[in-house]
Amino acid sequence: MIVCVAVVGNQNNPLYIQSFTEADDALKLHHIVHCSLDVVDERVNNPKKSGPMLNEAFLGLLYPTDNYRVYGYLTNTKVKFILVTTDLDVRDADVRNFFRKFHAAYVDAVSNPFHVPDKKITSRSFAERVSTIVKSFGLSSTG
Amino acid sequence: MANFLAQFQTIKNTSDRLVIAVEDVSDLWPTIKTAFEERLPFKRALLNNKTGNPVFVETLPAEFILTTEARLRSRFPQEQLLFWFREPYATVVLVTCEDLDEFKTILKPRLKLIVQNDDREWFIVFVSKAHPSNDQTSKMAKKVYAKLEADFSSKKRERCCKYDMYCPEANFWEDLESKITECIRNTLDRRVQFYDDEIRKLSEQRLMPVWNFCNFFILKESLAFMFEMAHLHEDALREYDELELCYLETVNTGKKRDFGGVDQGDDQAALMNPGNKALTQIVLDDSFREFEFRQYLFACQAQLLFKLNRPVEAASRGYLFIISFSKSLAWHESVLPFSMREVWVITACLALNDATTSHYEDGLVAPDVEKEFYRLTGDLYSLARVKFMRLAYLVGYGSDIERSPVNSASLSLLPWPKAAVWPLLPPDASSDVLEKEKLILQTTPRAKHFGIQRKPLPLEPTVLLREANRRRASLSAGNMFEMFDGRPGTIDGSGLDASTRMSSPQKVRAGSMSRTNSSPGNFDSSVDRPMRLAEIYIASEHALKQTISNTELLKSLSSLEEFEQKYLELTKGAANNYHRSWWSRHGVVLDGEIAAVSFKRGNFDQAAKSYEKVCALYAGEGWQDLLAEVLPNLAECQKILNDEAGYLSSCVRLLSLDGRLFATKEREAFQSEVVRLAHSEMKDPVHVDVSSLITFSGNPGPPLELCDGDPGTLSVTVWSGFPNDITLDSISLTLMATFNADEGIKALKSSSAIVLHPGPNTITLDLPPQKPGSYVLGNLTGQVGQLRLRSHSFSKVGPADSDDFMSYEKPAKPILKVSKPRALVDLDAAFSSALLINENQWVGILIRPLNYSLKASVLHIDTGPGLEIQDSHVIEMESYADPSQNEDKHVQGDGAQKGSLNPEKKFEYLNLVDGKIEFPDWASDISSILWVPIRAISDELSRASSSVATRRQSIVDGMRTIALKLEFGISHNQIFERTLAVHFTDPFYVTTRVTDKCHDGALLLQVALHSEVKATLTIYDAWLDLQDGFVHTNGGTPSLSFFPLVISPSSKVGILFSICLDKENAEGAAQEKPESILNIKYGISGDRAVGAHQPVLDESSGAHSFQDLIFRSAITLQRPVLDPCLALGFLPLPSNGLRVGQLITMKWRVERLKDLDEIEASKHNGEVLYEVNANSESWMIAGRKIGHVSLSPEQGSRITISVLCMPLVAGYVRPPQLGLPDVDQTNISCKPAGPHLVCVLPPALSSSFCIPVNSSA
Repeated sequence: MIVCVAVVGNQNNPLYIQSFTEADDALKLHHIVHCSLDVVDERVNNPKKSGPMLNEAFLGLLYPTDNYRVYGYLTNTKVKFILVTTDLDVRDADVRNFFRKFHAAYVDAVSNPFHVPDKKITSRSFAERVSTIVKSFGLSSTG
Repeated sequence: MANFLAQFQTIKNTSDRLVIAVEDVSDLWPTIKTAFEERLPFKRALLNNKTGNPVFVETLPAEFILTTEARLRSRFPQEQLLFWFREPYATVVLVTCEDLDEFKTILKPRLKLIVQNDDREWFIVFVSKAHPSNDQTSKMAKKVYAKLEADFSSKKRERCCKYDMYCPEANFWEDLESKITECIRNTLDRRVQFYDDEIRKLSEQRLMPVWNFCNFFILKESLAFMFEMAHLHEDALREYDELELCYLETVNTGKKRDFGGVDQGDDQAALMNPGNKALTQIVLDDSFREFEFRQYLFACQAQLLFKLNRPVEAASRGYLFIISFSKSLAWHESVLPFSMREVWVITACLALNDATTSHYEDGLVAPDVEKEFYRLTGDLYSLARVKFMRLAYLVGYGSDIERSPVNSASLSLLPWPKAAVWPLLPPDASSDVLEKEKLILQTTPRAKHFGIQRKPLPLEPTVLLREANRRRASLSAGNMFEMFDGRPGTIDGSGLDASTRMSSPQKVRAGSMSRTNSSPGNFDSSVDRPMRLAEIYIASEHALKQTISNTELLKSLSSLEEFEQKYLELTKGAANNYHRSWWSRHGVVLDGEIAAVSFKRGNFDQAAKSYEKVCALYAGEGWQDLLAEVLPNLAECQKILNDEAGYLSSCVRLLSLDGRLFATKEREAFQSEVVRLAHSEMKDPVHVDVSSLITFSGNPGPPLELCDGDPGTLSVTVWSGFPNDITLDSISLTLMATFNADEGIKALKSSSAIVLHPGPNTITLDLPPQKPGSYVLGNLTGQVGQLRLRSHSFSKVGPADSDDFMSYEKPAKPILKVSKPRALVDLDAAFSSALLINENQWVGILIRPLNYSLKASVLHIDTGPGLEIQDSHVIEMESYADPSQNEDKHVQGDGAQKGSLNPEKKFEYLNLVDGKIEFPDWASDISSILWVPIRAISDELSRASSSVATRRQSIVDGMRTIALKLEFGISHNQIFERTLAVHFTDPFYVTTRVTDKCHDGALLLQVALHSEVKATLTIYDAWLDLQDGFVHTNGGTPSLSFFPLVISPSSKVGILFSICLDKENAEGAAQEKPESILNIKYGISGDRAVGAHQPVLDESSGAHSFQDLIFRSAITLQRPVLDPCLALGFLPLPSNGLRVGQLITMKWRVERLKDLDEIEASKHNGEVLYEVNANSESWMIAGRKIGHVSLSPEQGSRITISVLCMPLVAGYVRPPQLGLPDVDQTNISCKPAGPHLVCVLPPALSSSFCIPVNSSA
């Protein structure tokens, strides 16, 4: 289950964070997303390590913890997409697919002329679209 | 083959280096042993690795063993093959011989026997005992050695070397080492080949039922061990890696096996200790138990990695191993003791960290690898920390764990231990339960500071109470029976055993149940009713005590203080290592956790420092939600530490956060703190940045535009983010000039206190005159008590978004534009034509504001000499419609608009007070004319000109000046000064001419009146007061029928007077009236907007009537020449005429008509003074203009005066005239008698000439 998706700006500022847990505990997900920036930074600053992934937006699994997983995606404009899931067996292809859709939704949202760049995304239609993407996550593989 | 396992392990444990066998044929070993063993270990030995590539081994340890020793002798051939790795890698044959025969007969056959075993790598060391001084023996030895070489060495391979005991050759040892190494290399290659083949054979059978992992393991590990002995660690590591892969494959695909991990002490990770358990203990029928064996493999790998000096890789592999092993533990959790997984991970992480850090040396690796290492260490600490917290929570220390996002993130996503059955309450624990319950009741949930109400973050994936009871309830009735059924068996097998079918939960239960049986009532009740929280804690604690074998860990969980100590240790370990890695965020966040403990312990200083770091991290990147969680803690610390400045700033920052993060009540609490502190007795004023709390902007719309030097008021919108009204004692705003940042900062201050309401407020500030340029808002400072607020951000439009932390980047909109100095008003004369002199005339001053208000302007009028203003006179002011503008408006033509566009004409009377006039309001924006009655005073009498005496007119004559000074602007700061020139003139200009001389002696005097003004003049009457010597012929008054005579502007009329010489008084003694006076009674009707007009009625003098205007002009009449003495004749000019630019000689002839009397003659000394007058515009005189010429006093004497002249203009011009100033005009007879003209031709083409430039001036 995806518990949280986030868009983080190029200044590492949160642009959009949406949690999908029932409990009122979004703050811990803020923390996870925020700390995962360390890993993104490390990958970006250490091109040696990322190696063949250098030209790819998908950063793959950021955290190999044993209770949740964090995936990252970095756009050309250094906007980061973060996905936190409690599924421990997720196919990379699914995550890639998810990020691709998420990226498209983000691009549409920031193309809105009324959106101020580097400001939080408040668009309701973006939120709806994201929740649709989140709901459909992993369905393609199972169904 | 599995039977060899025990043997294999003992062999492996005893042998740790390569063996070199010494075949001591001639009993030499005791004498040379020391020298040989000194060479060990070998340096830089060249060996081949598994792929056959040469590798230099830096140090190769080896051991010389005599073949006669028991270690090498007592081995069965089968064993030899299996444990081949321990067999000698080289055989050194030591011989000596000094006799050739002896060599041939005894030694050689024996040697042949030794070396015939082809499996062995051998070589012969010939030891020469001959003393170098003993030539004989040494020669012999040489011979024997030569023979030896010939017999045993081949071309392919040297198998012999010679050792002189007394003086070994220089290169002997090198030779020996290389020979030994060569042997070892060859042996090693052969054995690797052997093992490889065997392993391959086994691998091929892997999928068959006969496959036995143990055999494979022994071979593989033998190979690995051999490599390790040869210090080819890299190859050894690869073998272990392959072994691990192969094992995992069998585990994953194979049938269900016993996992292991249920022995006493298994909870302590053995991943750094390969010898933890004997392999025989963990062996299953054909394989090994996963729990132990995987740890064993990792331990072997880790040791190799340390030998390879790669602790970083050990850490990184270790971390992954722990994660994956933890997953395996989770799989088998139901068979493992309660919370085994958590305990194992804690111990594994700590053990791995201890091992890696002890092998790690700073600065030996690249910086990024180093960072990676610290990151891994931090991760391991962090992992241990999380598991430790979980255990602590289970035993009831949850209320002491900070419910921070980091703890919540790790704990609430971490599932509860999935024990098959939740531990039950031990029977004798009721007192513990009571105590625990008391403790639970005593602990109150820690209240947040500032009374912030927030749902605490969860530290558990699901509520523990429910989870524990659910797990118990899942035991259905059937299960319950099973439980009891299984009991007898379990009691038997409760000890440590290798029996595989025995599942772990039963064992766990065995512990508790064996006791519960003693008091079955308690047991039953605990099954029936749900457990209480305290009971769960106690039960978990009890279970954990059974699980945990590590005393230190047990101690850490034994009391709250111990827990806190360990917690702090782990947190610090993680934080410090993260700080040295790339993951600074992780480190800082954990610092916050350390701060929480410091806070609890009263170490507020330390806590504040750490919290500050955390806040800076969150604030810097705009993670306000997280910031809102930490900032109140920081504020609380600062409050306790009495750090007023910090506390204030924190409160303000709390207020600055997004409004949705705190309830209004909480925000109000922050504000009241701020206000309370601000007005408290702080020693020093505190400066606080409130940029995101108070923002300001200019009002929307164009910037305020001011003219240079004008003050103004600036209106600014200040957006207050305070939840309540806040009173600022003063406010000050800086303006920054966009053209020059250095000097352009001006502060505007409000004088009075300002109350800011939540949301937008409009405040106005007085703006002193500014330099020209455009200005933007700089920053805003406000003062509340001792608190100085300072905001340097400004929102563009309206209230700022509260997440607007990057608003500084917005381009600033100019708020104020001060234009460069320019004309703001124009004062001018309303017309340019002349006014009547000596009469009160309206002088119109046109005042034209140039896009600038003249409100309340004051005009100072200062008249120059020859002008006067009657103070009593009323001054009129009327609006002035610019004709050009009017035209435009007419062109627009719309009738409806016309009224509004063409405002009504305004008119007002004003008074002059002290030479000043104040303008009415209506005149502030429109052009207007000020009519000032002014009289120009001139005493001069107008003089008529005749054809003889030309008019000498100077433009200056009638000119008067009026100095004007206009003070205007908001505070009369603008001044405009102007001096107006007004032209005054007489109404007429009179010229006279005698038109005819009648026979009766009457003269017709024509008086021409030229109108000088732009007004219609009406002549009502005219008369001439004649000078002495003349009289009117008809009484002197002209016929009235002519009058009134109307003269339109710039036209002229003529009046004829008939006069004659007064013969009676011809010789009148005194000339009383030297001039005639022409009197004209006239009226004027003109528009003051154009020029001359009717004089202003002077109310004081009153009696003046319009028609009473009298114009007087003096006329000089000349009596004809009656007594000529001299004749002056202008000699004719050359016939070809005059031409501009050509010199010409003008000639006059002077002739004396009568003798001069003596007196006269003596006076003039026979000379005549002459003067040439010429218009300088027309002529240039080349000779002397004034001079004396001699002329004899006798009658008839004559002289010609010639002057060189050059005409300058073409046309009919007056020629120069010769005058004789000494002689009375009446005595000179001129020819021609009157003025005459000569014709000057234009200059010939293409000739250049000069004319004076000043002609027009």
